[in-house]
Order: sequence, then structure tokens, then C-alpha cells
Amino acid sequence: MNLAAAKNNSDILDGLKNGLPVFLGYFTTSLAFGILALSSGLNAFEAIIFSATNLTGAAQFMAINLFASGALASEIIISVILINLRYFVMSASLSNRLLSFSKKQKAIVAFGNTVFSIAALREEVPTFKFMIGLEGISWLGWTSGTICGVTMGSILPSSLQNAMSGALFALFAALLVPEIKKGVRALIIASSAAILNSLIFYKLKLSEGWSIVISMIIVTGIAAAFFSQEDIQDIAVEEAESE
Amino acid sequence: MNKTVLIILTTAVANYSLRVIPFFISRGKDLPPYLKRFLEYLPIAALGALIFPGVINSFQQNPAAGIAGVTAAAITAWLTENLIYSVTASIAVTWYILQYI
Repeated sequence: MNLAAAKNNSDILDGLKNGLPVFLGYFTTSLAFGILALSSGLNAFEAIIFSATNLTGAAQFMAINLFASGALASEIIISVILINLRYFVMSASLSNRLLSFSKKQKAIVAFGNTVFSIAALREEVPTFKFMIGLEGISWLGWTSGTICGVTMGSILPSSLQNAMSGALFALFAALLVPEIKKGVRALIIASSAAILNSLIFYKLKLSEGWSIVISMIIVTGIAAAFFSQEDIQDIAVEEAESE
Repeated sequence: MNKTVLIILTTAVANYSLRVIPFFISRGKDLPPYLKRFLEYLPIAALGALIFPGVINSFQQNPAAGIAGVTAAAITAWLTENLIYSVTASIAVTWYILQYI
């Protein structure tokens, strides 16, 4: 084995190693996704395809909630895009570090760019092989977790499956709580959105999907105008600024 | 191909587009601060709107079961910051209320 090949392999290994915590986090979360997707009416194949092709967290959970409520395709797609607009910022940040990549390499790396913060915080510029290792193990965690989740979900007794129709909301709460621990601001934003959404849904009788889309845009628009910049905790953005 | 798969593939294309476009457009200046905050807060507002009133509507017969489940999840998440523990605690509480109360 020549030196260049050895370097290539060690970069992949390095990427895999850096991705191991991501693997564990993704696996456990997508395990929940797989179970909940079934209780929301998706079949196992759809749930696995969803994870393997989308590789996105909160938006997948939101989408299965909308599927369960019988939302229109347009409501689901627009909601997913809104939630994931932030990927645009993450990729912009990461692309600053990967200027030497070829177009083809950029097109490949972009698919798995959920791990931007690890890549962006590294001291040395990540190589393509490193990114493949890092993103590959993340994708594997997300997809294999979903496969295990749908397997577990299909063997649960029906009384448990009834109780699980609320588990998605539990997951949303569990995602929200760490944000609230960081500052009261998240609590204000989330509860305003909850109240506005309830008003729009019950009083204006809009569908669940549109009601969520409209209330999150209004509340976020107002919050972004009123709150100051200071405690934004977006590593990617700070990283982009410091370069 | 059924409609669900079609929607899933469409969102996959949308997600990929969001991730790949920044790699190929000429990088302008930093995003305006307002837009940065907007993108930062959007998922938080989404979570709030996703929980209410959805959790009440999905337990028409017994809304308390849903509310108690979300509360159990929030408390567990506060203490452990672990998604699996939180969801498990919530399912247990909801299951108990639906079975016995």
C-alpha cells in the first residue's frame, strides 16, 4: 500500500470515528421515528425510504404528523421546506471550508450535510474522504435506526399502539425542552406559536397543516424583529462570521 | 408509486436542493441578522405549533391522556435531555390513563 492510499483510508476512518456520537444520536432518534411513522399510518417501506432519502430530523416527524391528519401534499412539502430553510445556512457555512472540492464532490457531500458543525469546527480542512466517512456513518445511523424502529413498531400490542399516538407530541416536547433550558426566549416563541395555532385552527377553521405554517411564520417573523442578536446559538453562523 | 412515496421523494428533492444550492451559488455577504434570527427561531415556533392543539385533537375521547403524556415527556427531557427516555415516559403515562382512568 502506498502512502497516498494509506492517507485516504485513514481519512475515512477518521471521519467514521468523528461520526460515532452522531451515529448513536441519530440511531436512537430514528428508532423513535420508525415506531411513530407506523402509528401515524405510514408503512415500513415508506418510513425507511423517508429516512434514507431525506435524512432530516424534525421535518420528518412533522411530516408524519401531517400525514396522520390527512394534510394535502402541498401543506406537507411547504412545511418541510420551511423547517429546513436552515440547511441553506449550514451548507453556505460548510461550503466556505470545502472550496477545494470538485463540483461532483460538492454535490455528493451536500446530500449528507447534517453534520456541518463537526466539519465546520475541525481545525484542519476536512478532506472528501473524511466527509464521506462522517456523513456515511450518520446516514447509516439514521436509516438503520428507522429500520429497527419499524420492526419494533410492528410487533407492539394494540393497547400500546393507542398510547403511542401521543408519542410524537412527546417527542416534540422533548426536542423543545433543551431549547427552553438555554433561555426563556424559546419558551415565549413556542408558546406564542402554540396559542396562535390553536386560535387559527379553532376560530378560522383552517386545516391543521396551513394553520401550523401560518402561525410559525407570523410568530417567528415577530420574534426575529423583537429579540436581539446576542444569544443566538448557531455555531455555523458564528463560524461563517469568523472566517 | 403511491402518493405518500411521491410526497416523500418530493421533500427529498427539496431538502437536497436546500443543501446543495449554497455550494454552487457565488457566496455573497453574510445573511442579514434579521434573517439569521428568523431561521434560528423557526424550528422552535414550529415545535410549539406542532404540539398544540394537535395533542388535544388526537385524543378526542380523553384529551387529558395526551396532555399528561406531553407533560411527562417535558419533565423527563428537562431532567435527562434524552429523547428515548422522554418518549417512553410519555407513552407509559398515556397508556396508564387510557387503560385505567
